[in-house]
Amino acid sequence: MRRIVLIVAVSLLGACATPVIETKKEAFPSFYDETPNPVTMVIVPAINRSTAADAGELISATLAQPFADNGYYVLPMPIVSQIFMLEGILDGSQTLNLPGSLFQSAFGAETVLYVTINEWETNYAVLAANVTVGLSYVLRSTSTDEVLWSYSARQVIDTTSDSSGFIIADIIATAIQTAVTDYLPIAYQVNSIAVATLPHGQYHPQYGLDGDSGVVLQDLKEGAVQELGQQ
Amino acid sequence: MNSKILMVLGVFALITGCTTVSQGGYYWGDYSASYMELVKDPSPEMKERRRETLTDIINESKELELRVPPGIYAERGLLSIEQGDMAQGMADLSSEVETYPESKPFVERLVARFASEEE
Repeated sequence: MRRIVLIVAVSLLGACATPVIETKKEAFPSFYDETPNPVTMVIVPAINRSTAADAGELISATLAQPFADNGYYVLPMPIVSQIFMLEGILDGSQTLNLPGSLFQSAFGAETVLYVTINEWETNYAVLAANVTVGLSYVLRSTSTDEVLWSYSARQVIDTTSDSSGFIIADIIATAIQTAVTDYLPIAYQVNSIAVATLPHGQYHPQYGLDGDSGVVLQDLKEGAVQELGQQ
Repeated sequence: MNSKILMVLGVFALITGCTTVSQGGYYWGDYSASYMELVKDPSPEMKERRRETLTDIINESKELELRVPPGIYAERGLLSIEQGDMAQGMADLSSEVETYPESKPFVERLVARFASEEE
């Protein structure tokens, strides 16, 4: 755990010398103005830019819970992905050129969430391995196509096995370490890092009360929009 | 290795409140795990297990006097219809709209889909 904290601290220091921190209200003002806030959210299949073919489906399975817990009505993912599949859409990149109004007419959703998998990989050194999961999230209004919220989050975790004292055994153990199950707890962490910056929705007790919380790193907010635009 | 994952999960559980009720005030039961299983193996057996998980979430939420999480009724409703139990399916879809009125446009579209498939 200490290692994770260190890595996070180092990456924060290394990435931006003078990080600009905004409050939720500064970063995402449309949630705090007088217009009614959106409640319903359709999550499109993840945009998979990693080399792991099954990462998209797996990450999609982790998303409904954190966003619902943050106070939103998330359209049921298993049903939604079935509908997308029937329309021949397996990867979210196929939906990028669709106008928001289509999500409104097809799903009755006020917002659409795009999640891009930028990193989903294991890096091996001789006796060490670490797993990196990097995701970016962009929430768009289906009526105005405006970006309402965006954030980019990544987490690196050391998955080196505890040393057995035998170097060959250790190398083999390291190489077979990283299974799907290793990614999921990390994916949950990445989700929660990002969702912590999203203004709470109307089903959350903190709804409308969290505008002053200064938790949004401007670089990561803007980075997510750029990452989505790169496809 | 496993101990590390457990530790990570443990810390996560601490952060999220350490009980079965989530930070958002929902009971999710085995929602994610059974979803993951269904993604990997969408067989009738797995669908039945998914249905049991959804039923557990509904019953336990009622027991704990919590709102049933978004989408749970709708998903069970659709599974019921797929398994031929139209009455239970439609009842669940109505419960979704009662619990979350903003889901009405979505649920209406689902019902319209079956109607057009039936024809």
